[in-house]
Amino acid sequence: MITIEFVIFITLGYFALLFAVAYYADRRRELGRSIISNPHIYSLSLAVYFTTWTFYGSVGRAATSGLDFLPVYLGPTLIAFAWWFLLRKMVHISKEQNIVSIADFISSRYGKSAPLGAIVTVFAVVGIMPYIALQLKAVSHTFELMMAAGANQGAARGILAGLPPYLDTAFIIAAVLALFGVLFGARRLDAAARHEGLVAAIALESLIKVVAFLAVGIFVTYGMFNGFSDIFTRFLETFPDRKSLVMLGTEQIPYAKWFTLTFISMMAVMFLPRQFHIMVIENSDENHIRSAMWRFPLYMFLINLFVLPIALGGLLLSGGDTTNADYFVIHLPLDAGHTWLALLVFLGGFSAAAGMVMVESVALATMILNHLVMPIIIRLHIDKSVGLSDLLINIKRLAIVAVIFQGYLYYKIIGDSLALVNIGLISFVAATQFAPAAIGGLYWQRGNRRGATYGILLGFLVWFYTLMVPSFVRSGWLKSEILEKGLFGLSILRPTELFGLSGFDLWSHSLFWSLFFNLSAYLVFSLFTSPSRIEQEQAEKFVNAYGYQEEEQTRKRISKAPTVMEFVDLMAKFIGEKQAHASITEYLGNREIDERGSLSEYELPNLKRFTERTLAGSVGAAPARIIIENYLSARGSKMEDVFDIFGSVTLSRTTSREQLGVLYESARIVAGGEKLDAIFEQILDLLFQQFKFDLCVIRMLEEDKNTLVVRCQKGMTSEHLGESEREITLNTYIGEAFLTNSVLKANDTDFLDKPHSAQIIHREGIKSFAHAPITMEGQPVGVLSAFSRSVKGIFTDEFIALFRSIAGQIGIAWRNAIQTDKLIEARGRERELEIAMNIQMSLLPASTPKLRGLSLGGICVPASQVGGDYYDYLVRDDQSIDLVIADVSGHNVGAALLMAETRTFIQARARGIHTPSQLLAELNRFFYDDLTRAELFITLFYINYNTETRRVTYANAGHNPPLVWRYGKRCCEWLDAEGLILGVKKEVSFQEERTTLNPGDVVLLYTDGIIEAHNDRDELFGTERLCALLQEHHALDPEMLIPCILDQVRLFTGVQNFADDVSMIALRVEP
Amino acid sequence: MSNSPHPHLRDAWVLFFVLGVIMINFPFIHIFNKDILIFGIPLLVLYFLVGWPLSILVVYIFARMLEKTEKSR
Repeated sequence: MITIEFVIFITLGYFALLFAVAYYADRRRELGRSIISNPHIYSLSLAVYFTTWTFYGSVGRAATSGLDFLPVYLGPTLIAFAWWFLLRKMVHISKEQNIVSIADFISSRYGKSAPLGAIVTVFAVVGIMPYIALQLKAVSHTFELMMAAGANQGAARGILAGLPPYLDTAFIIAAVLALFGVLFGARRLDAAARHEGLVAAIALESLIKVVAFLAVGIFVTYGMFNGFSDIFTRFLETFPDRKSLVMLGTEQIPYAKWFTLTFISMMAVMFLPRQFHIMVIENSDENHIRSAMWRFPLYMFLINLFVLPIALGGLLLSGGDTTNADYFVIHLPLDAGHTWLALLVFLGGFSAAAGMVMVESVALATMILNHLVMPIIIRLHIDKSVGLSDLLINIKRLAIVAVIFQGYLYYKIIGDSLALVNIGLISFVAATQFAPAAIGGLYWQRGNRRGATYGILLGFLVWFYTLMVPSFVRSGWLKSEILEKGLFGLSILRPTELFGLSGFDLWSHSLFWSLFFNLSAYLVFSLFTSPSRIEQEQAEKFVNAYGYQEEEQTRKRISKAPTVMEFVDLMAKFIGEKQAHASITEYLGNREIDERGSLSEYELPNLKRFTERTLAGSVGAAPARIIIENYLSARGSKMEDVFDIFGSVTLSRTTSREQLGVLYESARIVAGGEKLDAIFEQILDLLFQQFKFDLCVIRMLEEDKNTLVVRCQKGMTSEHLGESEREITLNTYIGEAFLTNSVLKANDTDFLDKPHSAQIIHREGIKSFAHAPITMEGQPVGVLSAFSRSVKGIFTDEFIALFRSIAGQIGIAWRNAIQTDKLIEARGRERELEIAMNIQMSLLPASTPKLRGLSLGGICVPASQVGGDYYDYLVRDDQSIDLVIADVSGHNVGAALLMAETRTFIQARARGIHTPSQLLAELNRFFYDDLTRAELFITLFYINYNTETRRVTYANAGHNPPLVWRYGKRCCEWLDAEGLILGVKKEVSFQEERTTLNPGDVVLLYTDGIIEAHNDRDELFGTERLCALLQEHHALDPEMLIPCILDQVRLFTGVQNFADDVSMIALRVEP
Repeated sequence: MSNSPHPHLRDAWVLFFVLGVIMINFPFIHIFNKDILIFGIPLLVLYFLVGWPLSILVVYIFARMLEKTEKSR
């Protein structure tokens, strides 16, 4: 027993189920495991084509006029056979171009024309209006039927009784469907424009539809009658005058009308906004089309199988009354008392309406948003930084509601004056108006924007005049005068017999005239006007959808390009931040990003296209194009053709051959081994000739001035660019290139961010330039610059790579040259040192003097080539000899010079000064200034020996005290005397000591090189070892003793060369 | 590799489409537009009841063939 509350409850429950399914599908999609991406769901969702018109109207049509309910399904069956080339191409293009609606499709094809998109949108909205009205009418009527059935069974009017009278059932249904449309189609602004939840709900509804209809069909045919033949036989017996219902070519269904209906339903199934949306936009895989080609016709066959039996059965049962024929499907089970079956049918019918209204309203709302609202918003909001995504989604929601209530309005006007089918066919003819532009656009390259615009405009005007106006007249909303006498009383303009064409049914008449004007305008304008460049480009993309390669695009670049983040911000404005970031992440995933976190210049046009496509997915192609272009022009960027230096950048093989050629040539020059300047000259010549630069310069670093100095230049004379030095700062491009050690280029000097450089560049009329650092072992040592006065955009990525390589070659040449110089320099210095050493050696005593009563030996072994040690003998007379040993700090030429000076002083003055202490005091006074200035000092030991008395007199200036081997005591003593190092104080008094030697005693004077010699364990040789050596070898002649000591020291250190200068004098008192 | 369908298969789809349009329109359909009952069903109705599923069957077979040739590619 069904009550009204129960019907409402079931309806709401069904809503909840649909929503749950939709929600589930959306969740699954987010997880990446789509439940709708299969041919079954795709084919089922296509059955959104079956609205309440099919569900109720087909039976009504069959009962009143016969077989002409069929063409509406035969047409789609036939066109479905052609899908493999027609629909597939549309889907392919739409995916390529990120198309979101039929308006988007048509406007994209004709050069992304915004006005065309708006026209298609307006006409689609108006054209679909009757169709939505039809759904509202059918659902509200069946709802009332169900409630009436409930009331018959004694239930109260219930909840609805309390509502005010103007809130009729249709209004409530419209409101509920609007809510549904918003929930399914506009919960968020989706970049992909696909609504998997919606599709899942539609597929479920389609399943309910076919199950419900088959159930009632089987019930009527086999439950109430005995199958097909029973119904047909009994019907023809009962109503022999109505056998036209099963015939064609009759007064009711002339062949012309049959053809018309077949044709418009073919076009409608392709170009109704909701069909386009479900078939093309929601398609997830082109291959699904292949199986939909037979599944969809099969669905149509099954759902139509029982239309005729139900209609004829209904007529038999109602005694031939056709007033309620539209609702036989629900009446028959109700009258037979099968309310549950009636409820199933009601749900089926409700599904049919809900599915259609939801998809249609979402598709239309998308179009309204993209083609009517967006162009206005763009003009108002593009420069503001506010996020538009919230506003946009609300507008979309509003549009959904508006579309549905517009249908409600039409329903209120037309009321019950037209049968369901007739209302639907008005929309079919409207959808057919898109066919010439859409199909022509797919296969005819010449078809252009003007043709499409005027064709659609004229087609719709004729459609409105020949179908809408009569429908208004019939409902009494317009006076019937216009129908009888024509517009302005001109009978030739009668809407149903336009230009006197009479004898046709309403549809054939309207189709003929609307298509006539539509096609004519399309063809004439396309043939006699020429398309713009973007139209041609788009036409190529559509007509050659499978073969189109985006080759030309790669030669574009954006001047003053926005950064990646700026693109993201732009996207975020329209699709929300999260979506924008998600899509950019996906986009950047497999692309190279340079060190500054931006894409290369030649990747940016691709990013621009990507941004445009992403926006297109949300707002449609035409608005997306306007958004991007407004945005770029607002910040002074523009797309421009790139002067192609290599003939064609895309032909990478020939490019690299050219590159290799130039690189090879420059490598050959470098390897040629000519003088550096000649090499530079030749490389610049090569650059200059090959690439037609106006100026090429090589600047090298001059370290002490911290400037880049021109080494070589070629081309125009420019004092500022080519001839002047450059300080290394970040304020110039060249400085930045040097400091950051990276190539800097300016492909368009209209946009420079360094004002100082910009001024010079502009004065010289430079259009583009680049600086590449010349490096040596990774460090910048100079900059290679190239300037062009004639072309912008010369520095492609490939060219920059080449340019950098050439700079690298220059670096190699520079390094080679520097190494050669160093070698020469080193050789020169070595030679000088050799000379110095020779001179120094010649200053040392060439031989040892021979005196009676003593034997002598001396040596000086400098650590480096020149040393600071000095020793000397000065024979005063036959009985007296002076010995000097000195150590000048340092082992360089300076030390050697001081040593020479010391020697000169001693040699010159020694004979005039009689005591060692006096001599040291004189020497100190003499040297003090020189030593202080040179920051050097000297230690020196001076000794005088008298062979007669065997007395030694000595004084010490801070030198190591000499060792004396006392032959008699067999031990070592030190000769020591107080005295400061020379050069510390101006006036120093030196102590003078005396001692007497005995025969066999050995005096050893030495420098610290001996005792401070150390081995690898850091042990010093020390005086004790030296003493031990003396003890061991005291009997040796001094000439032999000294080499012996040296050998022992070498043995101790383990190396041949001494770390310090080593000098020794040995004196042995002979008996 | 081109992404477009096989040319000869595409021609087959055009053929089906054109044949279908002919077979459900005047004058072809006039052949069946007769006031005869076969198995108690009017001839024209029977024509659609048999012809329609038959055409779907043909398309089904072709779709399967298409799938196989695509996979074998």
